[in-house]
Amino acid sequence: MRKVAVVGGGLSHWGIRKANWRELVQEAGKAVLDDTRNLDKKDIDSLFVGAASPDRWAFQCHVAPLVADMLGVYPTRMMARTELACASGQAAVRYAWLAIASGFSDVALCLGVEKMNNPNMLESQTTMAAVLDREWDGIHGASAPPFFAMCAQHHMKHYGTTRRQMSLVAEKNHRFSTTNPFAHFQKPVPAEKVEASPMVAPPLTLFDCSGITDGAAAVILVSEERAKKMTDTPVWIKGSGQCSGGNNSANWKSLDTWYPMQVAAREAFRTAGITVDDLDLAEVHDCFSISEIIEYEDLGLCKKGEGGKFIEDGQSDIGGKVAVNTRGGLLGCGHPLGATGIGQIIEICQQMQAKVPKARQVPDPRIGLTHNLSGAANVHSILVFGRDA
Amino acid sequence: MAEKGKGQETKAGGKAEANTAKGMPGWMADLPLVQLPLALDFCSPQTEDFTRVSRFFDELRKGRLMTTKCKACGALNWPPRVVCPECQSDDLEWVELPRTGKLWAFTEVRLGAPLGMEKDAPFSIGIVELDVVGLRILARIDTPYDKLDFDRPMELVVAKMPGERVIYRFKAKG
Repeated sequence: MRKVAVVGGGLSHWGIRKANWRELVQEAGKAVLDDTRNLDKKDIDSLFVGAASPDRWAFQCHVAPLVADMLGVYPTRMMARTELACASGQAAVRYAWLAIASGFSDVALCLGVEKMNNPNMLESQTTMAAVLDREWDGIHGASAPPFFAMCAQHHMKHYGTTRRQMSLVAEKNHRFSTTNPFAHFQKPVPAEKVEASPMVAPPLTLFDCSGITDGAAAVILVSEERAKKMTDTPVWIKGSGQCSGGNNSANWKSLDTWYPMQVAAREAFRTAGITVDDLDLAEVHDCFSISEIIEYEDLGLCKKGEGGKFIEDGQSDIGGKVAVNTRGGLLGCGHPLGATGIGQIIEICQQMQAKVPKARQVPDPRIGLTHNLSGAANVHSILVFGRDA
Repeated sequence: MAEKGKGQETKAGGKAEANTAKGMPGWMADLPLVQLPLALDFCSPQTEDFTRVSRFFDELRKGRLMTTKCKACGALNWPPRVVCPECQSDDLEWVELPRTGKLWAFTEVRLGAPLGMEKDAPFSIGIVELDVVGLRILARIDTPYDKLDFDRPMELVVAKMPGERVIYRFKAKG
């Protein structure tokens, strides 16, 4: 396996955008090409487009060649859309990583995008419900909020996790997103406001839920040989893990212990040659406040059941055990499904390159990870990054 | 120009006079309103023309909750399958599931219900652990959220949907 580096990243603004799907693509495409120094666009030999449901949200499939049109790239090795619901962006990067590591590709562009807002938001909710096993689970009106509400309910019942502990996750991530001009949510949200916001699915309120957001993000991945000619500050992919527990609800072994995440984390740490204690920062999938609490535990940052205490004690803040979701997370940035995984990677890179605003800069970070779950926490995908090759 | 356009067909097939009547210039075409479906139906067709597990729905109409069981490895499948996911055998038999169980998890959908269900909100949803077999099934719960609790005994409800379709639900027992 060859070493693979991230050498550039770019974002569109995320939010309820007065722009359509293809315009978001062009914004992130320009941003990544402007950001990547010493790149001849003709050298991009592979293109992966992370997009969860452009077929429904933008009535457009076969999107990879459309993106190639708009960005003026002409892949000669590999191109495809990658779809893994909420983890579609990370899926693009995992394929690009393997294509380059294997020697088949040298320079890959990964672009994640989702246009989720629609004058009829019911359509958006409906598309989300199709992420589940639509004919057997989605048909009952199940979608992400009720699933994660039941996870929260079980975590509260089994481990005594409190309403306030979940609010503190939302408060932290919204505090970070106020430092991020690309984020959907730009105002602080104190715990009291989380608790006073409308109930979506008890016990989860509106601010326990990530936003329905339009946005795009893109990164350029290259081989070690190329990276050394292009930049002094590459960020290296060190390892990865991914594990699935099926999709249908009958296969949800537990709602508050995500066993596939434990497997993915072990595999990611093993392939990267690190332990959980080596982590300086982590971008984990806080699609709901409770998700981040369960993820502290199943990543191994704290013991099972102590995720609530972990946030309460400030262990996931800058200066704590591991800085978690410094760009604002999904709660603060919003969650354009295809873009999220790539937005997280850009944060890890910019942290390691000391390019983020001081208010959220982690001191001297060397090892970080990004995590995405997809669907009803059915699949967990993790990538480990390092500042040193 | 207006004289020249008078009486000519527009590209959309309308008369230019019609445009004048609507205050639209002659070069503008007024296309007929086409009502497109906004979404696909959540409930797929249930008859034998469309699915090989149509028996599930036929039995459900009679009040029986069925699924498939693998005759080769004994695995109880959910949802019903045509090939056993455990051993790939296609020698499956239909078995009846218990109509009762206990509520394992539950919540209420207040905001964000999908199309076609938005008028139902708020509604309860939960996972019922069926008696004897222990299979956990997610379904709509036809009992108000504030009347629910963990391990509450539940029983099967069969709900009719438009177009001769049916869906299983549960409600609190008694």
